[in-house]
Amino acid sequence: MHHAHIDKFAYQDSHVHRLDSRVKFIVVLVFTAVVISLPATSLSILACYAIGPFAILVLGGIPLRFALKHILVVSPFVLVLALSCPLYDKTPFAMAFGPFTWQSSLGWMRCFTILGKFIVTMLALIALVSTTRFNDLLTGLQRLGLPKLLIIQLGFLYRYIFLLIDRAHHILRARAGRKLKNLGAKIELKTTAAMLGSLFIRSIDTAEHINIAMQARGFDRKWRTISRLQVRSSDLLFAAITALFLLGLHFLVRPLLH
Amino acid sequence: MHMANELLSVPVAAGTLAIAAASLGFICRKLRHIITSDKLALMGILGAFVFAAQMVNFQLPAMPGTSGHMVGAVLLAIILGPHAGAIVISSVVIIQCLIFQDGGLLALGCNLINMAIVPSYLGYFLYKTATAGPFGPLRVYIGAILACVIAIEAGAVLVPIQAALSHILAVPFSTFLITMLGVHFLVGLVEGLVTVAVLGYLQQVRPDIVLTSLSGKVRLSRKAVLITLVIFTAVIGAGLSLLASGLPDGLEWSYAERPDQPDFEPAVANQDHRIAAVDDFQSKYSPLPDYSIRTSKLGETLGQEAETAAGWTSFAGVVGAALTMAFIWLTARILRKKESTEP
Repeated sequence: MHHAHIDKFAYQDSHVHRLDSRVKFIVVLVFTAVVISLPATSLSILACYAIGPFAILVLGGIPLRFALKHILVVSPFVLVLALSCPLYDKTPFAMAFGPFTWQSSLGWMRCFTILGKFIVTMLALIALVSTTRFNDLLTGLQRLGLPKLLIIQLGFLYRYIFLLIDRAHHILRARAGRKLKNLGAKIELKTTAAMLGSLFIRSIDTAEHINIAMQARGFDRKWRTISRLQVRSSDLLFAAITALFLLGLHFLVRPLLH
Repeated sequence: MHMANELLSVPVAAGTLAIAAASLGFICRKLRHIITSDKLALMGILGAFVFAAQMVNFQLPAMPGTSGHMVGAVLLAIILGPHAGAIVISSVVIIQCLIFQDGGLLALGCNLINMAIVPSYLGYFLYKTATAGPFGPLRVYIGAILACVIAIEAGAVLVPIQAALSHILAVPFSTFLITMLGVHFLVGLVEGLVTVAVLGYLQQVRPDIVLTSLSGKVRLSRKAVLITLVIFTAVIGAGLSLLASGLPDGLEWSYAERPDQPDFEPAVANQDHRIAAVDDFQSKYSPLPDYSIRTSKLGETLGQEAETAAGWTSFAGVVGAALTMAFIWLTARILRKKESTEP
């Protein structure tokens, strides 16, 4: 497999990696909710909120360039919608930063806030995913009450994604090697259908093999993992620090910035 | 069309998350009786297939330079049945959120509804309705294309509705809606063509898959589907009429302007000093201060001094945050160096 594993950093080891996945998941969920409920007119407070995910990324040893690059990859939809805000909302709004003040529109403010929130919440999500092994996350989610069927489904999906993406790459390479020009809509469509169809059939065959192997090993519809989850004092400390961080920003820093 | 956290307000996000969680729980409960353990591996791998299939792109006709790929929701619903199809696509959406960070954690509810649950069930129902009766290739083709276009459009329509209910975007609802409808008509059409072509290929190579449809016995009672559709339409219609009547937003609507309960008004207009105190507190430490509140407090226009002061505080905020981050980064770096030299 030649593609980069997107969650390769989850297999490192650090204090953040060792935290309980449930605690991390809930903390990120709360953090995201707090950030998106921030007013649309305050940008500088977002910089303060960014400290949280930033600290976790740094403590977990995740390269920042990786995180930022990844945010750029998933941003197009938000970017388009955010950039359309200044077109429609032209309410004048005075912006001020340090010694500079300038007249702008509320639309630009909204645009920047949406983008700022996007970056902060995405940093938090990346911090969660790249410091937690997916199996641990799944076990945590199961303990939090996700249906077992969905957990099994997610487990399988994660396990075979990279295999099938590799296969798709092989098929694409084969097409690129044989097709030297655009063949016209009809043949293009037919080729694609054949590629997808063969991929589909191979997936079903693989599933059959896996099923036989699972039955042979005595699969009884129970999903057993070796992930052991335990809320330790370090997890409580982490939750307490996060709570202090959020409350401190809300009651001490936010009034100052307004 | 992955919805992002930032385009949603917390009530909308929480509401859609609750709806998505409830329907997923219901589907899982339903599937537990239908599905045998040998289908588990199949469902998982077909989820991975959807990922791989989305990488297979092809040139779009009449639009040089652009390429399309398939979404796969309707194809899986046709082959696996709507319940299993919905679970598989839901798992794909969850993985897209958790592993690939496409769409936010709080927007997951919206994304599950828009891209997994609605297209799977609507697509399956439309396909089955169109292909009911004697089997014919033309029927299958028309049914599949129709199912894809309408199912994807239905999911796409929900995006502007959710965004408009949240009141974050400045884009007018109608513009957003028309853009989404236009773009997703093309997406749906391409999806339909590819789905038909793949079904045709499977029919040639492995007719057993298409004919018996791996789904086994899945029955959607027509009555249940119709009732769901009616409720769905009513909910969307209610949402649209709310938007059209120009209410400021859901939260304000809930405590300030209750057109359905005229008696509700005095309770808020109450001159109680506690309420005044709370109001004052809120405008001071407000979690959601409107910009208008602030300007009205500082006077009609921000004075030069007030402006500069506001400028300096925000400057201090950003610089402080940057300094803190630099401090954290340096500390971590020093610690790591120590760790790596020690052993």
